[in-house]
Amino acid sequence: MARLIRTEKEVEGRREEVWLVVDEDDLEQWPAGPRNVVGRPKTRDDGLARARGQVRFTADLRFPGMLHAAILRSPYPHARAKRVDLDHALAAPGVRGAIGPGDAPELSATCEYEGAPVAAVCADSMREAHAALALVDVEWEELEPLLDADEAVARGKLLEEPRHHERGDFERGLAEADVVVEATYRTQTVLHNSMETHQSICRFEGDVLEVYTSTQYVWGVRREVAKTLGMPADKVRVVCEFMGGGFGSKNSPGEFTYVAAELARRTGRAVRCALTRREEHIAAGNRNATIQRLTVGARSDGTLTALGGEYVNAVGADGWNSMTEGPMLMLYECANVRSTTWGARLNLPPAKAFRAPGFVEGTFGLECLLDELAAKLGLDPLELRRRNHADRDPGGSEAYSGKNLLECYRRAEPHWERRHEVRSRSTATVKRGVGMASQVWFGGGGPPSYAWIRVGSDARATVVTAMQDVGTGTKTTMAMVAAEELGIPAEDVTVAVGDSLRGPYATLSAGSSTTPSIAPAVRAAAADARRQILDMAEQRYGKGVDFDLRELLSLLGNSQILGTGSRGPNPAGMTVLTFGVQVAEVAVDVETGEVTVDRIAAIHDVGRVINPLGASSQIEGGIIQGIGHTLSEQRLLDPGSGGILTTSLDAYKMPTIADVPEIVTDLIDLPDAQLTSLGSKGIGEPPIIPVAAAIANAIRDATGADVRSLPISREEMLRALAEAKEKARGAATSV
Amino acid sequence: MELLRASSLDEVPGGLPLAGGTEVVPLLREGLLHADVLVDVSGLIPRGIDGSRIGGGATLAELEVDPQVPAVLREACRLAASPQLRNMGSIAGNLLQSTRCWYWRLGYPCRLHGGDRCHARDGEHREHAIFANDFCASAHPSDIAAALVALGATMRTTRRELPVRDLYRLPTEDDRRTTTLEPGELILELDVPPADASTYLKAMDRKRWAFALVGVAAVRRGDETTVVLAGAAPIPWLLAGPLDESTPLPGTAYKVEIARALVERARAAVAG
Repeated sequence: MARLIRTEKEVEGRREEVWLVVDEDDLEQWPAGPRNVVGRPKTRDDGLARARGQVRFTADLRFPGMLHAAILRSPYPHARAKRVDLDHALAAPGVRGAIGPGDAPELSATCEYEGAPVAAVCADSMREAHAALALVDVEWEELEPLLDADEAVARGKLLEEPRHHERGDFERGLAEADVVVEATYRTQTVLHNSMETHQSICRFEGDVLEVYTSTQYVWGVRREVAKTLGMPADKVRVVCEFMGGGFGSKNSPGEFTYVAAELARRTGRAVRCALTRREEHIAAGNRNATIQRLTVGARSDGTLTALGGEYVNAVGADGWNSMTEGPMLMLYECANVRSTTWGARLNLPPAKAFRAPGFVEGTFGLECLLDELAAKLGLDPLELRRRNHADRDPGGSEAYSGKNLLECYRRAEPHWERRHEVRSRSTATVKRGVGMASQVWFGGGGPPSYAWIRVGSDARATVVTAMQDVGTGTKTTMAMVAAEELGIPAEDVTVAVGDSLRGPYATLSAGSSTTPSIAPAVRAAAADARRQILDMAEQRYGKGVDFDLRELLSLLGNSQILGTGSRGPNPAGMTVLTFGVQVAEVAVDVETGEVTVDRIAAIHDVGRVINPLGASSQIEGGIIQGIGHTLSEQRLLDPGSGGILTTSLDAYKMPTIADVPEIVTDLIDLPDAQLTSLGSKGIGEPPIIPVAAAIANAIRDATGADVRSLPISREEMLRALAEAKEKARGAATSV
Repeated sequence: MELLRASSLDEVPGGLPLAGGTEVVPLLREGLLHADVLVDVSGLIPRGIDGSRIGGGATLAELEVDPQVPAVLREACRLAASPQLRNMGSIAGNLLQSTRCWYWRLGYPCRLHGGDRCHARDGEHREHAIFANDFCASAHPSDIAAALVALGATMRTTRRELPVRDLYRLPTEDDRRTTTLEPGELILELDVPPADASTYLKAMDRKRWAFALVGVAAVRRGDETTVVLAGAAPIPWLLAGPLDESTPLPGTAYKVEIARALVERARAAVAG
């Protein structure tokens, strides 16, 4: 029975009150532990086809007569195109269309960052399109760029009003402290670099605009494109069957979609607009740099009395001011907390969400600060964290729907204990150590999301939902849940996703919300079908009689059992979060500054685990991406002009397989008793959150050096080692 | 663009020579090289390894596993690029790589492009040179070149024989080139004299597939050890004196520290 409710919706820390129509989700949770299908490791339904290159990504799609579009972008961080002349480009070989500022949404003569889209051409081939870009005649007026985040804050160039949080009395908390530690942490700008670049193919079929796109949100693209182009939403069809990664950078249509749509409208042809790898490095979003000026006060027993943070997010020309202060507000019990977060507006490409935006950066600062405090207090870092465990949500008075962080700490102990042995293997030049960091994040998902299911006479089922599988294995997860509920093997369930014309609404794949949002809807749809099957069985065999499912369903012939399901509401008055802890082991060559991560143990609490294999893959992926963020990745700028210098995969250094350590994953796997019929939360983002701090803390353990800036490149490592040596000498002198 | 295949060395038509293509193709794509005609010379350049003689067309992948090849060169090959690139890239092509300086690669009007200033010197230069960086601070990317210069290898081209060391020249106001190879001249073969002991050590931003922040090639013959650095100067840099003579930029001072440690380790590794 549909019910209209007023509820709070959260995506990656952004909360809003919304009206929602929800169905009651009255299914009992399954008991904890592995079931017939759910809770047992399963390889992906499309894994082999992916490995063989047989699945078709958006990048693989071609349509008859399709044209290729290329985008002219601002070469300057701050400029105005005073005049844009498309005539020469239009006359170039193969060119079929050209558009300039104002001709399509997001094409503008005012350029607030390098790579800002100005004009576009489409041609018979991508080569011709790119060649024609050089013929677009632009008269540029260069303007002074603003590149420094602190300067932007001082000058009031902000994305929005500074965000303040205050609980208790920070100053009093400091006065009560026996020890105070202050430190400034910095994180760099990093890039998503999805394997599949941002791209769309648009074509008009009658009055329907078809958008084949690489997206994390089929329905969001449909809504935004329809709204922006003034079309009825059902006249926009969005398709994304297979996706080559997004990591937060593909939540909205993007200029490439609007360019393709407008050129498709003008030419009557299918138009493909695919970003190059170079464009991907410049104008496809990023995790913004941060400056974090942090303070912690504690009693000598480790009890936190005050936490303070001044956070500057170097957001770029636009984007959003992510919740870098989140971990400080949410991770520990502390009565007195004060934070301010500025979103510095700069002439740099806009930040986009990137796998736990804000929390990756904020956790690096906070969890390093905690270890610096532990060192000053002479306390064990794990014990310090235990003593400050929050039993209730410190941000409000709400209870947690479920929290097993203490169990994570308990399971971390054997990994933590290894530090004595690890340290003992240090040599004169290679120092070894172990560090840890905790993690808090959202990941509860929420309504609405819907699924349909059909069961045929062959006892096979098809789940239909216009959800996207962004490469995380969502389809396999859905098949497992449906199979479990129906009592059939997962191999007998087909899952159809990624087409707004052919399935009901499903949420965006962001905020670790895909599984906790769609999986309960799939279970509800399967349960709906199952109830109908039981009705049928009662009519055929009598009440309460055991029956053979295949025999019963074989009676169906061409008839089908159809079920529908929806995601019910989140528990009222409760905070739904994910938690975890990671323990890193590193080796530091103190002469060359080389850091080697030897091992990371990751223990995470995300409720019930539906597919342990898929979940551990997510953890491994998050840790590897985190290692890149920690050690080698950085977008570099020319300090004079603000031009982006790292525009290729050899200049911008993502980790390779040789950088990947031994990764040990451990999932608590207890259903969150308050959350949906599954008790499952998301695992996409939690594993990247504590990586940087765990590694930095391991480096401190190994060498005594405080690394406070990411990436921990050779020069940062050598600088920190020299500083530590200087400090030790100073200490020795003062004694 | 046209791709021709030359049938003999006497009949190489005018055009841009192409062997493995791992450097030329990206440079063409980026608009840093221009050619209407590419000439595939991979069938003409000698390949294979025979004692001290190495065909210019030998791939890095072949070299890294061949026991006839001195350790310093094997290691330099093994630590270069990725397996895919090493399968395609030839040793001769590797010697002719252009710098990875991002200003040069992005077409800034720098000195190597004929401009009047080095953008790296007062710009972002963490990957740049610590020696001979006054005119142009670019760093030479080839591990293999450092190894060959350290070995005292010589090469035969379509026009002459010369020490590998003489293939390289520092760019000057009057002549911005970093090699002495003339247009149309092709490297055919290398002669690599044996060493008593040799090694190559390399510091990178990640464990594999990165150009050297500092590469150290060390070769000992008798009592004499030769050390050549990669990633340290606009050309492979023969270390004649102490590292104190280096002239690091603010952002490359750390490289001197790394070089000091690696040179010491390399010397120790080849010590008799």
